[in-house]
Amino acid sequence: MKDDATFHDAKVHDGARRLGLAAGERLDVERVAAAVVERLRDAPAGATRPAWMQPAWLRIAAAVVVLVGGGLVWRQSGNSVPAHGAHFVTDDLTDLSADQLRDVLSTLDETLNQDSTTLPDGDLEDLDAQQLQAVLRSLEG
Amino acid sequence: MAQPQSLAATISPAPDSALIVAWQRGEEQAAAELVRRHARALARFLAGAGAPEADLEDLVQDTFIRAFRAVDRFRGQCQFRTWLLTIGGNVLKDHGRRAARHKVVPLSDADAQGLAARDGDPHERAEAGEAEARLAAGVGELPRLQREVFLLRAQQGLEYDEIAAALDTTEGAARVHYHHAVKRLKERLQ
Repeated sequence: MKDDATFHDAKVHDGARRLGLAAGERLDVERVAAAVVERLRDAPAGATRPAWMQPAWLRIAAAVVVLVGGGLVWRQSGNSVPAHGAHFVTDDLTDLSADQLRDVLSTLDETLNQDSTTLPDGDLEDLDAQQLQAVLRSLEG
Repeated sequence: MAQPQSLAATISPAPDSALIVAWQRGEEQAAAELVRRHARALARFLAGAGAPEADLEDLVQDTFIRAFRAVDRFRGQCQFRTWLLTIGGNVLKDHGRRAARHKVVPLSDADAQGLAARDGDPHERAEAGEAEARLAAGVGELPRLQREVFLLRAQQGLEYDEIAAALDTTEGAARVHYHHAVKRLKERLQ
């Protein structure tokens, strides 16, 4: 006669082997395969997220916004920016969505152009790391 | 002279690794073949882990999409299927968060019937069905790591070293998780 432990052990293992079996059998594998291929075709890996939305680019853009914003505040306030000004800019940035960051970048782009700051052709989104560094250096004076 | 044909069409059964390379080269049929090979096992795993039947096909699709997009990070540390199942666990977790559903999802009637023994007298079948429904609910209540180790071991029949590699843990830890899972499930069945 089986003891209780062995009996329940067998129940657990037998049950586990059948777990989800019916659901698996009902799956239309061909339909899933076709759907997966279709989805991969519609949105290939590289196209799922624009290049400028890659985390590295967002970090660079955020750094540019902080420095440019800080620079503008510094200019407008006659070189006497309170220490906490930049701090607030940084805090606010953490709450911005990607779209909002884009808007900020566009605004800054226009402002910088008005201020005759030398920027390469195209938007900030198109700049590579070296170009961004050049912009930052020019803003630092 | 014959035209070169795709890997998925000419070599059957090609190993998963060859199909992965073919997919990385852009061969869609290689991806389709990988889906055909592993979709049922993945569906079983997800259903066993508590995936609602109504969402099962979408979850299977999402898992494959996520796997194919991250396939460059698959370094052959375990079998492709094992890696896929662990991605399925992540997809299911994200799905649960989004849907804010209860942790334990009751199986459909058809699943309960599927769990029950298919031979024997009606009374035995009913008893087995009840015990296995309790087992399914118990699996759903296990902590995530215990549940995944249990399903990979008991449902999918994987070895501990394979499970440990897939879940980025040690073989000893995998054994402990399995032991605790079985203990809890046995208590539930008693």
